[in-house]
Parts: sequence; C-alpha cells; structure tokens
Amino acid sequence: MAYLSLTNISKNFENVVAVKDFNLNIEKGQLVSFLGPSGCGKTTTLRMIAGFEIPDTGTIFLDGVDISNIPPNKRDIGMVFQAYALFPNMNVRENIMFGLKMQRRPKDEMIRRAENVLSLIRLENTAKRYPHQLSGGQRQRIALARALAIEPRVLLLDEPLSALDAEVRVVLRGEIRRIQSDLGITTVYVTHDQEEALSISDVVVVMNNGLIEQVGSPQEIYRKPNTRFVATFIGTANEFHGFVSDSSHVQCDEINIYSTRVGKLATGVKVVLLVRPENVEIYDQPPGRDTQNVFEGKIDTITFHGAITRLGINASGKIITADVSISSRAPVTHNQHVWLSFDPEYCQVMAE
Amino acid sequence: MDISRKSKPTASQIIFITLFLLYMIIPIIATYVFSIATRWDRSILPEGYTLQGYRDAMKNPYFLITLKNSLVLSFGSVLVSLLLIVPTVYWVHLKVRLAKPLLDILMILPFGIPGVVLALALVQVYNFAPLNRSPVLLTSAMVVFTMPFMYRSVSNNLEAIDIPTLTEAAQSLGANTIDILVKVIIPNILPGILSGSLLVFATVFAEFTLARLIVGAGFKTFPMLLVEYTRKDGTIAAGLSVISFTIAWIVSLLILWVGGKGMKTSQDVIKAH
Repeated sequence: MAYLSLTNISKNFENVVAVKDFNLNIEKGQLVSFLGPSGCGKTTTLRMIAGFEIPDTGTIFLDGVDISNIPPNKRDIGMVFQAYALFPNMNVRENIMFGLKMQRRPKDEMIRRAENVLSLIRLENTAKRYPHQLSGGQRQRIALARALAIEPRVLLLDEPLSALDAEVRVVLRGEIRRIQSDLGITTVYVTHDQEEALSISDVVVVMNNGLIEQVGSPQEIYRKPNTRFVATFIGTANEFHGFVSDSSHVQCDEINIYSTRVGKLATGVKVVLLVRPENVEIYDQPPGRDTQNVFEGKIDTITFHGAITRLGINASGKIITADVSISSRAPVTHNQHVWLSFDPEYCQVMAE
Repeated sequence: MDISRKSKPTASQIIFITLFLLYMIIPIIATYVFSIATRWDRSILPEGYTLQGYRDAMKNPYFLITLKNSLVLSFGSVLVSLLLIVPTVYWVHLKVRLAKPLLDILMILPFGIPGVVLALALVQVYNFAPLNRSPVLLTSAMVVFTMPFMYRSVSNNLEAIDIPTLTEAAQSLGANTIDILVKVIIPNILPGILSGSLLVFATVFAEFTLARLIVGAGFKTFPMLLVEYTRKDGTIAAGLSVISFTIAWIVSLLILWVGGKGMKTSQDVIKAH
C-alpha cells in the first residue's frame, strides 16, 4: 500500500462540489503537486489531508492507518501556508520550537533541532528576530523550518510562494525541492502555477472542477496530456477542431492533418487536435517534399519573450502560435510570408 | 508619517487643545482641592486646608468594607468578562463569522437600556434564592453592563490578525485549543484585553445605580458610601472621590505594567501590519 493514500474522497460545501471521487496514492518520499485553477478543489483536498476539513465520503490512509477521524493536532502532518502564519508574538527560534514544545521535548533537544532546521534553510542568524522584521521570502523559509522541526510524516504546502516576488519564488522553489529530497520527506504541494509544479514535482496531479484530470510525471503531463483541459492549462496549444478521417488523419475544415496520435479513435469521431507552439516549425521557403503537414501563412504578430520569440501566424484566416528560439534561422519580420509544419508525432488528438 | 504634520501647531490648535484639557481637568482639580478645604463658599480660593475630611472618611467602619466590596466586584467582573468574552469572540472570529453582525448589534444594547431598567428587570427575573439581591447577580449585571467595552477592544484586536490561519498553523504543530488560546491568540490580542479590562474595571468601580438597586445595603459598594456622604458632608464625599480616582489610576498603572512586555511585542505586530 502507498504511504499516503486517498480513496473515494468527496467534499461538498453547501451543495457546491469541491472535490469529487478523488483517488490518489502517494509513495514515501515523493513530492506530489496538486495543480489547477482556483476553485478546482486542490486546497480543499490538501486541507482534508491536514485534518482541517472532514471528507463527506472516503478515507485517508497514512502509513496504513486510517487518519480520517484524527484531529489535525494529532496527525503529525506539517503545513506551510500561503500567508506564512508565523506567530507574531514569538521570535524565529520560538516559532520553530513551538511544535517541539507541544510535543514536550527536552529543552536541549529543542534548541539543537531549531539550529538544525535554521541551518537547513540557511537563516542561522535570524533566530532572535521577530516575524515582522523579516522579508516575505525569509518568513516563508521560517514557516518551512517550523513545519520541518517536528519531523512530520507528511509536509503540506498550500501555495507557499504565491505571495512572493517572481525572483524569490524561483529561488525558494528550488530550495524547497532541495530540502525535500535531502530529507526524503513525503510532500504535497498545492499550486496554480504550472511552471512551479512542473519544475519541482515527482508527480503532478492536474485538477479541475473538483475532479482529477490527470496524474503523471511532469514530462507525461506536458507531452502526453490526457484531456483537452490538461493540454490547454499546461503550456499553450493550438487547437484544431474536426473529425477523424482515417487512422492517421484529422480533417479540420479545409485542411487535413497527419498525426501518429489518433490511436483507437474511430473514423468520424469529433476531435480536437492540439499542437504546442514549440512544435510548430517555421521556414522562409517551402520545405522539402518529405515534410508533413505543411501550411502557408503570414506573420501577424511578433512577441519577444527573451529566450524565445512567439509568432502569431495567419494561415488562411486561422491564427497559429509558433515559438522560435533566438538562435533559430527562422525569419521574423512582420507580414512576412512563411511556411510552417507540424511534426505528426506532436499532434495530440483527443475526442471532444 | 508625513513630515509637514510635525510642524508647529497653529494658535487655534493650541487654544482648542487647552480648552479641552481645562474642561477635563478642572473638575478633577476642584474635587482634589475641595477635599482638603476647610471652607470654600465665600472666596475664590479655600479659606484654609485640612486633612480632616480624609480622617473622618477613614474612621467610618464602612470605609474598608465598601472599598473591599468594590474591589472584589470590579476584579470579579473583569475576570468573568474575560472568561466569557475572549473565548466567545475568538470562536466567532474563527468559526461563526456569520454571528459577528449579531454580536455587534447585541453589544449596543447595554448602551440603549438604562441601568435602572436593567437592574429592575434582573431583580424581578432572578427573584429567588440564592441569586436574588446577591453580589453574584450584581457581578453578572456588571458584566452585561460593561460587555461592550470588553467586546469592542478584543474584537478590534482580533480583527487585526489572521485568526483562522494562526489557529490552523498551531494545530498542525500539535497544539490543542487551550494551548492555542493561551500561547498564540491571547498574547497577540493583549493590548485589547488590557484596555478592555481597564474600561470594565473603572466602570464597575464607579457604578452606583445597578449596585444600589440590585443588592442595596446588603453589599455596600464604595460609590454607595460616597453618595451617602454627598448628602451629609461634601468635603468627605470629595475625599472619597479622590480615593476612588487614585485607586482607578493605580489599578490602571498596575494592569499596564503587568501587560507591558506583551503589549510591546503586540504593538510591534500591529505596526508591522
């Protein structure tokens, strides 16, 4: 049995479905992200693991034991909140030692442990400061240290970086991942930021409207989205609506697109075909005859994003988004006539 | 803060502030002076000074009894008020936010109902032993009467901190409800608790109507003794007033001093917000 296991979890708030039929197994030491738009049920699920919400149906097992009816203060689960939630009346060391005090640990052990976690987050010199004397990033590190000090069986992070600046966010998520894998602590991380989820997780759980859309590694989630929601929520994708014309082609309005990903979809089924902007190739002259799915168009918009440039190409009325890297030879001038192609390998097809 | 605000006050500002201070202070000074005056009805300043009023007041066998009764009543009311209101307001802020408007309205009622009405109603309703005309009933009445002071102070303070999240953070670290209240919530709302306690103490200590009507002579309070003297001897009454003031001030200083340390950190917190 998995270390942390959620079976058939459902939760409603006054007739609004928050989480429905949630099933998930988390292995020991994994970092699992719940990713989805606000209101998708990710935080509610996390709060049920913590014990702050009671599931209407279903069971939560931790290390083989049903914890569904154990109050939050007896679950041995650490939590980090978006709003830091440091105790304003206590200094950093007192904050960190709070959980240990509740466990009635000996004083010297508490002090040693506080020093350990402070060095883990590289903030040894802040022990005597009060929360209001620290920056947002520092506060969240202390909150992390406080949660880790009690050596919880599971660490829960509820959008821990949402209140921070972009730069701090990137640094801190790396820190969280480093500490998590150093300690090998089973972690559930809630975020609405796909980049965050993809960059630090072992497993990503994409949620929408209280349901799990897909569970998989970041690579799987990105490269092989199971549903249209996942494909469009994670990264961007060009969408073509049409129907399956044979086992390897999709007819979308005038154009026929060749895809190796039609799978078992029957001929005539209404589908959506998705191509990510980075899988759109651009040419300034017609490409060779062996190139598949070639279309002509005119560059409509050019947006510079640093490492890549995003092009909006008007191909007979439909705008197709394409990313070209700065080193690519692809032409980038406004209104320029170009050819583009989709690699059939990267043309996702899913039923509408 | 804006630098321009620190510029010198204008003449009109000085005049207003001075008038305000005089308005507040003159009656107090007059009472102090009257309490040590021999005679003060034929001249601008008293004709002579004496401490005879204080001596007479303290000679009264009821002096110490009423003083003790009033202190017991005041501290008792503060205690009951704290035990009743702090957890209630905490729960309302944490779990039953919908009840907050209701509480807000309830807390205006004591201002709207005259003390006489409240007292007579209580005497009628609790007209059975052992509650009837007992100090316990009086304490309860005092708690109701002063409830808005405690409620407002505590509630405003709770409003300034994120109670639900702090509570959950403490829970996730293994704290039970009592630990959370004592170690997390109360230290963070200490300024509100202190100012609420001060207001309740001062109000109860000086309250006459409720005490007179609910317990009467059975449990004589300091203000009752004072009122008795206003009919007999103004100088002694003034002396008792001065003693009453002084006690209120000493208690205020005491409470502030006791809570001083916690107060400082809490104010830092509020400043940081």
